Amino acid sequence: MKHLPKIFHLLLISLSLLSAETVFAGSTGSDIKTPFGIRDYNIGMAPDFTLQDIDGETFELAKAKGDWIFLHFWASWCGPCREEMPTIQKMADAMQKENFRIVMINTAEDEDTVFEFLSGIDVELNTLMDLDGQVTEVWKPRGLPTTFLIDPQGEVKYQAIGGREWGEPLYVNFLKQLLLSTDERR
Amino acid sequence: MRKKILNIIPLLLVVTGMQAAQPVILKTPELEIDFTPRTPNQMTSFYEARGFPKAMRDILKKQCFITVGILNKSNEKIWLDLSGWHFSADGKPLKREHRDYWKKRWQNMAVPLSKQSTFRWTLLPETLDYLPGEHEGGNLILPFTDKAISLTASFATGENKQGKTLTITTDKLFCAEDAQ
Repeated sequence: MKHLPKIFHLLLISLSLLSAETVFAGSTGSDIKTPFGIRDYNIGMAPDFTLQDIDGETFELAKAKGDWIFLHFWASWCGPCREEMPTIQKMADAMQKENFRIVMINTAEDEDTVFEFLSGIDVELNTLMDLDGQVTEVWKPRGLPTTFLIDPQGEVKYQAIGGREWGEPLYVNFLKQLLLSTDERR
Repeated sequence: MRKKILNIIPLLLVVTGMQAAQPVILKTPELEIDFTPRTPNQMTSFYEARGFPKAMRDILKKQCFITVGILNKSNEKIWLDLSGWHFSADGKPLKREHRDYWKKRWQNMAVPLSKQSTFRWTLLPETLDYLPGEHEGGNLILPFTDKAISLTASFATGENKQGKTLTITTDKLFCAEDAQ
């Protein structure tokens, strides 16, 4: 009991430091600490594309400016892609009220394969269909899966290396900090 | 009788190549590389399930597929460049075809673009800068041989490839064959 005040004092200091770090990190985009597996990737404007999703709806990247975009390339035959899907769903649930769009692109498979795959792993994610694989060729991901993060102005800012635990607080908080930094600059 | 059976089993395994074509894992302080030989049946089943044309599968089933995974365990960049990988079997060089060779071949056969694309994504990249902690992989395709395959592979390190060169060697790779 005698040590409690000291412990509380230390806790308070730690909490103050933590929140100060959060505020600082959120003040400008470049100050945000990237979690393991995500790297700065400033390659300029995102190459535009127009693709249809599995429901036949058309999506054009250039018309999606204004939100952060999580652009994710995947294929059903890729083991890490399969493992990563539920974590993307978890992250999507955590981010659904934010100005944030998840754009999935399946690489060079047909609707039947994709529909069967997505229903088999119990996720509610839609995906664009890069039927001939040519959009993927332009974007040149390092491998599958690969994720790019595009800012509201349409510039590519980050690249995720391989599959990540997107549903974990480390990554969700990082994404929320990105949004916060943009809101503060508006 | 039991002893006789035990003697026969290893012999059969050698004859079918199944014992030889085991995964190989090479570890250094900086790298971990695993090699997993794939049987022709495994590969043609994979490509058939994805709608690859028979003509394409017939060519692929005559090749030697080895799936390679590379993990960078160091704190600096490690550069994969397959032009620095040298294969040999039975004392003779074993030529690995560049992905451009396969691209041209599929184009000449008018293979659909989607299949060409999937094929390319299943290959080990010709070059890649592995970031610390990064794991990427893909298939190596070699001409089929029933002999042991030796490999000497070099990797540049550092941001501008100016660090020390890492070299790994093995003489324990084999092509996998279908069970008889």
